[in-house]
Amino acid sequence: LVSKMDAAEVLTEVRYRAVTIFVIVFVLILCVAGVISYLYQTRRLEDRKRVEEEIRKLNRELEARVRLRTAELSVAVRDLEAFGYSVSHDLKAPLRAMTGFANILAEDYAPKLDDNGRRVIGVINDNARRMGQLIDDLLKLSHLGKQAMSISSIDVTALVRSVCYELREELFRDRSIEVSLKALSPAQADPMLARQIFTNLISNAMKFTACKEKAVVEIGSYDKGRERVYYVKDNGAGFDMKYEDKLFGVFQRLHTQEEFGGTGIGLAIVRSAVLRHGGRVWAEAEAGQGATFYFTLPKGG
Amino acid sequence: MNNHEKVEVLLVEDNPNDVELTLRALKKNNLVNDIHVVTDGAQALEYVFCAGAYSGRDIKVPPRVILLDLKLPKVDGKEVLRRIKSDERTKAIPVVVLTSSQEERDVIASYQLGVNSYIVKPVDFEKFVNMIAELGLYWVVINKQPVA
Repeated sequence: LVSKMDAAEVLTEVRYRAVTIFVIVFVLILCVAGVISYLYQTRRLEDRKRVEEEIRKLNRELEARVRLRTAELSVAVRDLEAFGYSVSHDLKAPLRAMTGFANILAEDYAPKLDDNGRRVIGVINDNARRMGQLIDDLLKLSHLGKQAMSISSIDVTALVRSVCYELREELFRDRSIEVSLKALSPAQADPMLARQIFTNLISNAMKFTACKEKAVVEIGSYDKGRERVYYVKDNGAGFDMKYEDKLFGVFQRLHTQEEFGGTGIGLAIVRSAVLRHGGRVWAEAEAGQGATFYFTLPKGG
Repeated sequence: MNNHEKVEVLLVEDNPNDVELTLRALKKNNLVNDIHVVTDGAQALEYVFCAGAYSGRDIKVPPRVILLDLKLPKVDGKEVLRRIKSDERTKAIPVVVLTSSQEERDVIASYQLGVNSYIVKPVDFEKFVNMIAELGLYWVVINKQPVA
């Protein structure tokens, strides 16, 4: 049979067979590659689905935890509100009775009272008045914590000018205070809280310079690294730095009522407001030389 | 008390100390002679609407002004305010809320109910007396009201 075909035909036959085999093998390889690729993809898809399911589960758990915490906080806030409401109403009524009836005593029984008697009544009245002031201040602090913040870009120069004007008109009309306004960069903050911070610090600066002949208050800002620092500096009574950790406590004072009036709530409010913005507040001073109060706010503008 | 006499001031206040202080302050300034005091919300409504113990009263002869505390037993101050201001026969009576509460929601709620004035009682007695005197002067003497 081989003799029937000649060499050329055999070669062609072989070539034909070789190509066929080659094509078949090639197709087989492609198929195998396809199958492997498919299996791989499926595996990856399964992995991805598993991961996504894991993430969804974690999210659900997180949301459940957030809901629980929010519920806890809501209860706490409501309790605080009830407390504040109660404080304002129920504590003040007896105070009013105390001052009122002490006055009735003073007026109706005046002839029967000697100087000491009148002095004693004065003490009762003063203390009742003071307690009323303390209650009002505590309410201010609690009110501050309750309100939600609305952040916006604040023109600090305009704000400080307005605060200084208001303070001078209302509290320090009869004093001559030199106020030096340096460059004040804008801040990203809640306008009411920012106003409260500056009002308390500048009012303190003005108050504690009453003992100096020439009262100077300087207000400015500077950037340090990623922080924007604002400062209020005065040349007033100052304080001893060893008491600096008492500065921002509620109702903490470093002076007596005779030296300087006040309840010691101003700086506690400043600290609370600054912390709510994620900032920090600190002070430097020297007794008799003056004090500088610093605080940071998010950069604005 | 003569139910037919025209009353200048109806004082609605449950705290006896505050009643004593308010009466003293009003009388001190010779502003009013006829003050009637009720000590809870239910009595206040009976008085204003001439019902119950006050059914002998004439609803066409209302008090010149009602001084109303918000926190009252039985019927709450806001409810009393609502009832007075939503009745045609009584809504013209000036109502001055006199309270210890300076909570914003109380102020808003009172004004929405039609209160004429909202005053926060000061703790300091002298300020309280001056304030009552001013209130009395304003609502009883200065402010013009329609002739009953």
